[in-house]
Amino acid sequence: MKLSEIGMHRFLRIAGVLIILGLLVEIVSLLRVHPLMFVLFTLVGVSLIGSGILVYLVSLVLAVIPPVEKKG
Amino acid sequence: MSGPIGILIALIVMTIVLVAVFLVRPSITAGTAGKMLAFIALCALPALCIGAGMFTHMQRSEQTKFCISCHAMENYGKSLYVDDPKYLPAQHFQNHRVPPDMACYACHADYTIYGPLKDKLAGVTRIYMQYISKPPAHITIPGGFNNHQCLRCHGGARDFEANPVHQALMDTLISNQMSCISSGCHDTVHNASEVSTLKMWRPVQ
Repeated sequence: MKLSEIGMHRFLRIAGVLIILGLLVEIVSLLRVHPLMFVLFTLVGVSLIGSGILVYLVSLVLAVIPPVEKKG
Repeated sequence: MSGPIGILIALIVMTIVLVAVFLVRPSITAGTAGKMLAFIALCALPALCIGAGMFTHMQRSEQTKFCISCHAMENYGKSLYVDDPKYLPAQHFQNHRVPPDMACYACHADYTIYGPLKDKLAGVTRIYMQYISKPPAHITIPGGFNNHQCLRCHGGARDFEANPVHQALMDTLISNQMSCISSGCHDTVHNASEVSTLKMWRPVQ
C-alpha cells in the first residue's frame, strides 16, 4: 500500500465522520418545527456536511498530485 | 413522521449507512467502482441531503406555528383569534383569506425571487434577539409595512378597485407613499399588547 493511499484513507475517514455528524444534526433538526432547529441545521448541520464534502474533494485532489521527488 | 419528511429521513439514513461503509473500510476506494460509490456516498448524496434539508426548513419557516413559537410573537399569534372584524390579521386568518397555516408569511414576506432567503437572514437576527439579547418591547417591521403585500392579492380585485377611496388613492397606494394601514384606513392590526383584554374567537374544529 502506498503512503498516498494511507493519507487518502485518513482524509476519507475524516470526511465520513464530519458528514455523519452533520447528517445526524439534520435528523435532529427535522424533529421539531422551531426557529432554533432552523439555525441548528443551517449553522451546524450544513457546516459539518459541507466540511466533510470539502475534505473528500481535497482528498481527490491530493490523490492525483504526484509526490515530489527529492533531488540530489 | 410521514410524507416528504419521512422520505428525507430515509435518504439521510441511507447516506449515513453508505458513508459508514467508507468509514470502516476506506480501502474499497482502490477500485473504479469503489471510487464512483465513494463519490456518490461522500459528495453527491450529502449535497442532496443539504439541498433537501434546506428546502424543507425554508418551507417549515413559512408556517404560522414556526413564527409564533418565539415568546415575543405569542401575542401576535393570539391576535389572529381576536373576535372583532376590525382586526385586519384576524379577519384574514379566520376567513381563510390567507392560508391559515402560512398566515404570517402570507402578509410579511417579500415575494421577489430573493425575498424568502433575505427574510430568513433577517429572521436570524430576530432569533439572536430572542435567545441572546432581548426582543424590543414594541416590535416593528424594518422599512415599514409594504403595500405590495396587500396588493399582491387585492390589486386587480373587483371590490378593491371599485371602492371610491381606493380609486382616489390608487397611485399613492401602488407607489407605497401611503400605507394601507395608515390611521383612518385599515389601522387596526395586531395590537399585541392589548390582546389579553380582547374577546377571542374559538374555532369549532
